[in-house]
Amino acid sequence: MDNQGLVNLGILDLVVAYSLVLLAIGLAKLKRIGQEAQMLWASLRMVFQLLAVGYLLHFIFAVKHPLPVLAILLVMGGFSLQVIGARIKRKMPRFYQVVGTALLVGCGGVTFVFCSLVVHYSPWYDPRYLIPLAGMIIGNSMNGASLAAERLGAEMRERREEIETALCLGASARQAAKPALRNAFRAAIMPTANTMAAMGIVSLPGMMTGQILSGTEPMVAVRYQIAIMCAITGAVAITAYLIVVQGYRSYFTKAQQLEMQ
Amino acid sequence: MVTVDSVSFLGRSADGGVVKLLDGISFAAKAGEITAIIGPSGGGKSTLIRLINRLADPSEGRIEVGGTDIATMDPLQLRRMVALVPQKPFMFEGTVLDNLQMPFRYRHETPPAAQSGEVAEVLALARLDRELLERDGRSLSLGQQQRVGVARALITKPQVLLLDEPTSALDRRTSDGLAATLREICHGRNLTMIMVTHDLRLTEKVADYCFYLEAGRILEQGRAAELLAHPASMELKRFLAEPADQEV
Repeated sequence: MDNQGLVNLGILDLVVAYSLVLLAIGLAKLKRIGQEAQMLWASLRMVFQLLAVGYLLHFIFAVKHPLPVLAILLVMGGFSLQVIGARIKRKMPRFYQVVGTALLVGCGGVTFVFCSLVVHYSPWYDPRYLIPLAGMIIGNSMNGASLAAERLGAEMRERREEIETALCLGASARQAAKPALRNAFRAAIMPTANTMAAMGIVSLPGMMTGQILSGTEPMVAVRYQIAIMCAITGAVAITAYLIVVQGYRSYFTKAQQLEMQ
Repeated sequence: MVTVDSVSFLGRSADGGVVKLLDGISFAAKAGEITAIIGPSGGGKSTLIRLINRLADPSEGRIEVGGTDIATMDPLQLRRMVALVPQKPFMFEGTVLDNLQMPFRYRHETPPAAQSGEVAEVLALARLDRELLERDGRSLSLGQQQRVGVARALITKPQVLLLDEPTSALDRRTSDGLAATLREICHGRNLTMIMVTHDLRLTEKVADYCFYLEAGRILEQGRAAELLAHPASMELKRFLAEPADQEV
């Protein structure tokens, strides 16, 4: 990577940057918004978590072995599953099995295709590429998965009458649940579609900005951004699709009866 | 013919506990007859017809349709033979015609056109005006929706028709008209019809056979005219004497 234009940030620079958070906390206190403690805690967590992950990545980059890289990816996947589980209060039956499998197949499959066929770096486990690329794919898929699972549950509950009427008329479980599936999938991919539509005009994406700041040619950064957005869209869509098509089945018995908890 | 043999069903009570909603129910509903299930609210009437349609399975006992145990049948095939019309039939998005065509779409069959004989027949049977065909199903009154529900169930010519309070939202004149239609269809098509109702007038007018269900148990059953004229149990006497309790 070309680092010629890179301006290294020192501790003092970070202290100045952190003063902006303190300014926000000060404003919250002045206006008695009452979020000062949460903002302070969140900002401290952000600093310590990023420092910790920085040291960890430094170590993993130095080791150059696939095992710690795969371990990191597993932790990222597991943590995202736990985050989704914590967000959703009324979980579908077999929630962790359905969402875990969807994340594994959706994110794992797309990361594999993207790294091996699009970026095609070597070796395949090079943490400098694999970890950030998989991280972006998992992070976005986590949001899509969360929306898909939450919306599917809500749709199945709200549409109970409609689903049972369809079953009474001879519909299969899949036919009866089709409107719920459609809405859940739409809800899951909507933010990604919106992000793509606004990209470059409303917002400059983080990865591209980061690459430009670290000295990469803007057009190189743009090509990376386009490619990663395509990968993210694919991963979100596959993950959400797997959640809705596997998830709806968990609401039905083998006799195609709607079984709500 | 529908045979229900020693059927019990465990369900969830409001506080989340397990409760026996049906307890040892046995009866036979013959083809070409209307069987009425009467009784107070919460007695298990609607649950019973859901079991016949296999929207749920009994905890004990067996149900046969046409001599076959429904537990051994493909639920989709069963529900295409046994149609259930809920008390408040859900109207799918679209027109009344779209709603009438829905069962055919589920079966991957060509739906009948607006001008077809099938559509005209069920509109007449359910006493619906042809002009309603292009109306949004959800904009209809509850009474009209109930009749669309009946028409939608009849259009595929089921062998068994299960009706949950079919006249609860109808005025007296429309209710009487629908009652006459139900008798006509049942006898004309040799249909097995099982009807849950609070409406004793309707029961008197159309039912051939009747049983009284309270707290999940059949307390009395017999030919409808005989049962309603000469109730034996205190519970049925009280039910027949208390019209206020028969409100939906």
